[in-house]
Amino acid sequence: MSDPASRNGPPMAAPANDWASYVRPRLSSLRLSPTRESEIIEELSQHLEERYEELRRDGSGADEARRLAIEELLEPEALALFMRSLRQANAPRPITPGAPRRRLLADLALDLRYAIRMLRKQPGFAAAAVITLALGIGANSAIFALVDATLLRPLPLPAPDRLVMLAERTDAVRTSPISPLNLRDWQERNRSFEVVAGFTPNVGSMVMAGADAGAETVARQWVTAGFFDALGVRPIVGRTFLASDDIQDSNVVVLSEGFWRSRFGADPGIVATDIRLDGTLYTVVGVAPDEAHLLGRTALWAMTPIHGAPPGARRAYFFQGIGRLQPGVTLEAADADLSAVAATLAREFPQTNEGRGVTLEPMDEALIGGELRQTAMLFLGVVAFVLLICCANVANLLLARATGRTRELAVRTALGADRARVARQLVTESVVLAFLGGVLGLGLGAAILDAAPALLPEGLLPPAVSLQFDRRLVAFCAGAALLVGLLFGLAPAWQATRIAPAQALAANGRTTTGSGTRLRSALVGGQIATAVLLLFGAGLLLRTLLAVEGADPGYRAERVLTMVVDPHSSRYRTDAARLQFYEAVTDEVLAIPGVRGVAWATTLPLGPSFEGTSFFDIVGDPPPAESQPPSADYQIVSTTYFDTLEVPIVAGRGFDGRDIADGLPVCLVNEAFVRRYLQGRSPVGLQVALRPTPDAPAVVREIVGVARQVKGQPNETEDLVQVYVPLAQDTPGDIFLMMRPAAGRAEALAPSVRSAIGRIDKDQIVGVRNVQTLEDVAWAATGRHRFRAVLVMAFAGLALVLAMVGVFGVLAYSVQQRTRDFAVRRALGATTADVCRTVIGSALPVIAAGAAVGLGLSAILGRLLATLLFGVEPLDGLTFALVLAVLALTTAAAIAGPARKATRIDPAVALRAD
Amino acid sequence: MLDRELKKGSAELIILSIVEPQPRHGYEISKLIETRSAGTLKFHVASLYPLLYRLEERGWLQGRWVERPGERRRRFYSLTTEGGRVLARQRETWKTFVHAMGLVTGVDHV
Repeated sequence: MSDPASRNGPPMAAPANDWASYVRPRLSSLRLSPTRESEIIEELSQHLEERYEELRRDGSGADEARRLAIEELLEPEALALFMRSLRQANAPRPITPGAPRRRLLADLALDLRYAIRMLRKQPGFAAAAVITLALGIGANSAIFALVDATLLRPLPLPAPDRLVMLAERTDAVRTSPISPLNLRDWQERNRSFEVVAGFTPNVGSMVMAGADAGAETVARQWVTAGFFDALGVRPIVGRTFLASDDIQDSNVVVLSEGFWRSRFGADPGIVATDIRLDGTLYTVVGVAPDEAHLLGRTALWAMTPIHGAPPGARRAYFFQGIGRLQPGVTLEAADADLSAVAATLAREFPQTNEGRGVTLEPMDEALIGGELRQTAMLFLGVVAFVLLICCANVANLLLARATGRTRELAVRTALGADRARVARQLVTESVVLAFLGGVLGLGLGAAILDAAPALLPEGLLPPAVSLQFDRRLVAFCAGAALLVGLLFGLAPAWQATRIAPAQALAANGRTTTGSGTRLRSALVGGQIATAVLLLFGAGLLLRTLLAVEGADPGYRAERVLTMVVDPHSSRYRTDAARLQFYEAVTDEVLAIPGVRGVAWATTLPLGPSFEGTSFFDIVGDPPPAESQPPSADYQIVSTTYFDTLEVPIVAGRGFDGRDIADGLPVCLVNEAFVRRYLQGRSPVGLQVALRPTPDAPAVVREIVGVARQVKGQPNETEDLVQVYVPLAQDTPGDIFLMMRPAAGRAEALAPSVRSAIGRIDKDQIVGVRNVQTLEDVAWAATGRHRFRAVLVMAFAGLALVLAMVGVFGVLAYSVQQRTRDFAVRRALGATTADVCRTVIGSALPVIAAGAAVGLGLSAILGRLLATLLFGVEPLDGLTFALVLAVLALTTAAAIAGPARKATRIDPAVALRAD
Repeated sequence: MLDRELKKGSAELIILSIVEPQPRHGYEISKLIETRSAGTLKFHVASLYPLLYRLEERGWLQGRWVERPGERRRRFYSLTTEGGRVLARQRETWKTFVHAMGLVTGVDHV
């Protein structure tokens, strides 16, 4: 290379001649990028200066030399003319930081165009970022739909904030059903509600006779006349119930919209016609829209008259109450008002109403239970963390990219761009990425919501709640995308604009990564902490699921078929008639080849119960405290029940032929009963007085045996107290039939059992429903736990993968940056193991710190989750250990690639290339 | 006239040849062309630099700012691998052309 130092170039002093002022105008028509233009001016000015000095050395005067040098620029436009063919000329107006301010919108448009061009240049980077964001935003939007439906959205009724659930309150229980006469008196005497009404919470079925003499079962709900007025539901066709219906004691029904459409083809002429339900004629008065399903799905609502109920009805508690507050009345005022009414009633009817108050609860809170709210919040927390990890990953991608662009940005800054302008450009790029991720995420969310109804466990969502894809969801996604774009765009922008331009330019875009590396390490640490947190939560929920599924239910669920049998009340009016029917069915089913056992019961283990709880006291013991009368799960079972389900009798005897309708009233109790209430006494021979409500007349029964504990709920922490009563001594109208085949699948029995029932009474086949196996029942009972565990595990897995992608990315980048460093080490004799150690050593502190923070947060999470856990402690050591093991394995996988690459650096190649 | 035509056709060849042995800056290139052609060929600012930039855009030359202590920084142009190939090809073509011209016109050694 020629040595410029040997020339007599001017010293450091600036050229005396302002050549730039001659050159610049000649370039102006080219609209070069400012960077390029200043370079060219600098170069040409130097040329002119040297020419000038040469002319001076040759003897020209200063002015003449200047003139001659400038003449060589020739005609004014020649330079531009020659340069016009250059690609750099006529560039579109560049984004020039520091250029005279233009309108904000125009700047924004330019920023957008530039951002899109930058992203198109790097499709791999853009795709990785967009997909990562789409995963995060998609998962968030689906969960937002759940949160929106359960926590945010108002009930789909007029003025939902005025709707209140009503119940009676006793010393023992906060909410107890309401008796019809109390409900009537509340309605007549209160001054706070527009309407007070009641409905029966359990949706039973009625048998509807068709025109073709066939029959079908339809779901029905019993309601009082004010039900629809309280909800604020207007009929689609006809009318709803009137107070006059109640006073006239009419048999009237309102059809639900869905049933009206499917069964009657949406025929408006159905109004005022009669239909036969359970053998009785009812007049259809109208059709109500689906919003009325808020309090339970049903095909039709039948009115229950309460106005003329007999005085004895004051001790029959079966209604749930709803009320619509008058405008402007607060819940507290209404509570005080209705409590005063209840107090008056207690004075008037001390026998039945002593100690009975009222409980009011806003309807939305009552309908969407605490567990569902908690589950929704859990999921929201989980997906928010997943979104954070996604952000961190994209921020990492952007940071690595920004480091590569340090030089570009430094040039802009050197040319006078203010930091804000450069930062805005970078943030615009991030927002564009976030927008694309948001659109894709919205699609993903829609797909998840589309599939969700099939995946959600039945009963998780009350009928009031539906997951909807609507404007709110789109708005949420847009908001999330924008927030995320700003969030992950700011870090790289901040980092990129704080490097001094001189430093960046001098480094030639290679090694100014100190603060960027620290920031990226912090992000990766955060990702690992989050992944550990989610893994721990998933671990706890998984162990809960395993505990729930692995718990001994106390019976053998395998290969038992069950179905509901519901004999017509019009034909089987008495206990004796029903018992005779059940016994006939038992004989007929037992005659089917391959049936080993048949039993009847009002409760399915881990499933629903027709009878609920019963209050009791032990005869001869001091009466229990008024406020807390002991209660037990009341089950009516056939003599064959314990054999068929293989529930062992641990003391005394089971039921047998002695336990007939007019024999000695007997019962069995379970182990929890003995432990809790008998204090070591022998149960057999003791007498218990059982009553369906604390005030109802008691039936005294003698305990003849003790059955082993059977679980009522899969996750019950306290053993359920159970009392069994023989079918012959209390014969209900709704009951479960169960049978176990000698061999083969239980489901295979269903058709022959149906026809067996038909042979006894062909009209009863329609009353047979809910055919399922006990295993199905148990599976459904653990559905919520499975749903939670599977969902959180899926998210935790996603978080782990994303975090490991983060670890991998940062390590791979740092190995690439340190190629020279590793090459020098190898050249100086470092072994493969040494290099590996260096790479791992650089990653470990970040991973360890992340894991430590994650474990610390896990301890808090465990406590927050405590109410959702079963069979596992919130600070379960095994779960901690498993999480660490999973983390160690996946981290090893993420480190392996970069470490391997580092060991393969050939010093000779790497150093020569430098 | 000959001088103009030659310059037009051979300007690229001349510049590539000048920077072949070592990187040079613009002023040096213009001086070398002038001295080696004994003053016959002159490239002034307005024609030299556009040509340099064009050659750079084509990837035949690479310009790089070099800073030396006590001096202003200067842009040095060096021949790229691609430029080297072009130079070799152009020399060949030029030789053939000159030979043909000599045969046709009887003018030797242009």
